[in-house]
Amino acid sequence: MNLTRSKEWWIDKAVREQERTIAAGAGDLPGAHASTAISESAPGENRIAFGRFVSLMRRNRRLTVEELAEKAELDASELLIIEDDVHALPEPRTVFHLAQFFEVPQSRLMQLAGLTMASDSRLTQEAVRFAARSESIDALTREQRAALEAFVAVLSEASSNE
Amino acid sequence: MTVQVSEISLPNRQSGQSAQAELRDAIDEQPLLDWMTRWQPFTADVLRDLAARGVPKSQWPQSRHWNWGAKMAEVSGLIAFRGFCVTCNGVTQGLMRVDLTPLAREDTQAGKPLVYVEYLEVAPWNRGDGGRTPHYGGVGSALIAAAVKLSIDEGFRGRIGLHSLPQADGFYRDTCGMMDLGPDDGYQRLRYFEMTETQAQAFLREEAPE
Amino acid sequence: MAEKRTMTLNLGEAEMRVLEELSAKKDLTKTAVLRQALRIYQTLDARIARGEKLLFENDATKEKAELMLL
Repeated sequence: MNLTRSKEWWIDKAVREQERTIAAGAGDLPGAHASTAISESAPGENRIAFGRFVSLMRRNRRLTVEELAEKAELDASELLIIEDDVHALPEPRTVFHLAQFFEVPQSRLMQLAGLTMASDSRLTQEAVRFAARSESIDALTREQRAALEAFVAVLSEASSNE
Repeated sequence: MTVQVSEISLPNRQSGQSAQAELRDAIDEQPLLDWMTRWQPFTADVLRDLAARGVPKSQWPQSRHWNWGAKMAEVSGLIAFRGFCVTCNGVTQGLMRVDLTPLAREDTQAGKPLVYVEYLEVAPWNRGDGGRTPHYGGVGSALIAAAVKLSIDEGFRGRIGLHSLPQADGFYRDTCGMMDLGPDDGYQRLRYFEMTETQAQAFLREEAPE
Repeated sequence: MAEKRTMTLNLGEAEMRVLEELSAKKDLTKTAVLRQALRIYQTLDARIARGEKLLFENDATKEKAELMLL
């Protein structure tokens, strides 16, 4: 596809935008479920598990968000977004620091966070299982701690198979 | 696959000058790298700022979680889908994915194929919302022009369709002259717009209007 | 899509008639109809390979019927 027009033509088109943000796309909205769109390879399920994972790992160490931010050298408000907003994609740098701090493999956490293509369906399955088992969010129960430890084992073991 | 490059011009809204840019008819590796390493961090900053100011999420950019790496991977090798991007100064300024298989719904062209714009997003620094001055204008228009031209090239006579993200409703309806088919129940009530052959000819007309 | 290659098709009478009818109905050249058919065929094939099902839904009754097309 080639389109040749004068410089003035393009500038005129731009002027007519009048500073409005041009965008289109119904198939992938927060909370949407467009049945005719090709389904993406479950970044949602992984991403939910990622937020839950960060939250539980933090609370397992009895840290507030601010304390984790300080210790892991991260921004508290971004941590809040990670834990609360399952649609926000975290910064690669943040995931790197979290992986280091929590001592889990980089690449697996990146995949979980939705920053790289999820090619491992088993990771997704385990992520869904973890998210379901860790559902209740108040005190970290023994059940949740067990779920967390099992999931950490999966993350580490999956990586050693690479 | 050879990428076709069209030379275009974009206004730099901050400097007031115009810049030379490229409209490319494919999304290859570099635009996706730019999305991950440049768009994402900028968006994270914007979201941090919105969260800090207590702006309700309903007003956050609706495309904020789009994963363009995944979007292109899922249609890789499928000829029904095409990607387009705009680059300026070596940096990707906008991305678009289209589907060539959907059919028009508007009465005068129902059942005929069109180019359906599945996703169109400009780089976060080019957004006009959140009280910031966008960097480059015209990126969205260039991508819409590409969709219309592709439609002509494929024999669909310039017909295109899309679901507008709310801020752009007026742009599609009034500026592009598209038919507004109203809120679509199947798509979170986003408005669905179609461009007819006549509207496409007007849109791409070469003589600058008065 | 710069280079194109030419192919000769052997179509029966009924198939040729369908090609002409679709061409008229969709306001497309016969080549464009076939290119469109190829796009749709490939997409359906890919989605089914991913485990999705192709269904028709009766708008009135909301009954769904699976299409064992591919």
